[in-house]
Amino acid sequence: MTAEPQLEEWEVFRQEKEGDAMKHGGSVMAPDAELAVHYARELFGRRQESIRLWVVRRADIHDLSDPDLLQPPLDRSFKKPGGYVMRDKLAAAREQSGASKPKGNAG
Amino acid sequence: MTDSLAPDLVPATRNALSLLLLSMADDEFVIGFSDSEWTGIAPMLEEDVAMSSIAQDELGHAQALYRLLAEVVDDGRDADAIAYDRPVEGYYHARLLDHPRGDWADTIARRYLYDTADGIRLDALAESSFAPLRELVAKIRREERYHLMHVSAWLERLASARGEPRERLLLALDRLAPDAGTVLSPLPNDLSLVMAGIIDSSFDELDARWRVEVGRVFERLGLSMVLPVADPLTARTNHSDAFRWLHGEFTAVRREQPGATW
Repeated sequence: MTAEPQLEEWEVFRQEKEGDAMKHGGSVMAPDAELAVHYARELFGRRQESIRLWVVRRADIHDLSDPDLLQPPLDRSFKKPGGYVMRDKLAAAREQSGASKPKGNAG
Repeated sequence: MTDSLAPDLVPATRNALSLLLLSMADDEFVIGFSDSEWTGIAPMLEEDVAMSSIAQDELGHAQALYRLLAEVVDDGRDADAIAYDRPVEGYYHARLLDHPRGDWADTIARRYLYDTADGIRLDALAESSFAPLRELVAKIRREERYHLMHVSAWLERLASARGEPRERLLLALDRLAPDAGTVLSPLPNDLSLVMAGIIDSSFDELDARWRVEVGRVFERLGLSMVLPVADPLTARTNHSDAFRWLHGEFTAVRREQPGATW
């Protein structure tokens, strides 16, 4: 008899097109990195939906989900930039430099 | 289209080309169907997806090769008619692929022996003077690269594991070894294909290349295997009962509804 192969979880990140951020796609079970990459390719790349995959052993991921560190109970809104109104300053700067307002989503 | 492809070829060379295309298409078709028998029952979910997807790739290659063959032969049959409407005796795949799917070790051993031989055959067609085949082979080779990586990973694991996996692999190789040489056994008149620049070497030379490649890997993995040279007269004939059964399976829908499309 042979011992059952030790399977473990591997997390797969994928990039859809050049310049995109790597996004978590899902996970696969595999006994080692080589087969994990093969299975990632089959599950997240065989329909040409990815141009790059990253495969990471789940055990190698350092998890941080402590609410005391990430969601402290006191008001922290002063750490967000929402309090500053930039619109008027930007308009004045544009007028000064003669630049027009950018179109579309830019800015 | 009224003109068939490759009009410059003399009839003997055209026949040899047809047999080359038929042998390649039938090889891919039969191993594709046979390996698709793992769908739903492979050793683990991820491997189920992988093997099914590889089997599907092979059927895609077979379809493209049958289409090209239909244009070369130009006798009114389309790719589906060639693929499905022949009796068992009309199939021209290598006898290596007549072996049943068997257990996982059988499948991996068969696929390794086939994929290495097929890879050498495709390499020899990469610069083919017959442009439609050269262009198709360029695409097929890119997919076969992955197939070979996948099956090699498995061969290594079965060969390197102690106990049952290695024992099963050795039994599988014993069963398959007598027919392993059938894939690159010389086709009738293959030298005319070399003369016409359709393939870069005779099948005798391809077979020798394959033995070097496989021999190197087997030596590294401690697999001492004798792979006899196949008799060209029977390399692609006298198909097995296992193939008879598979043929009944893959022609069932076609026989039930002749000419059906979807």
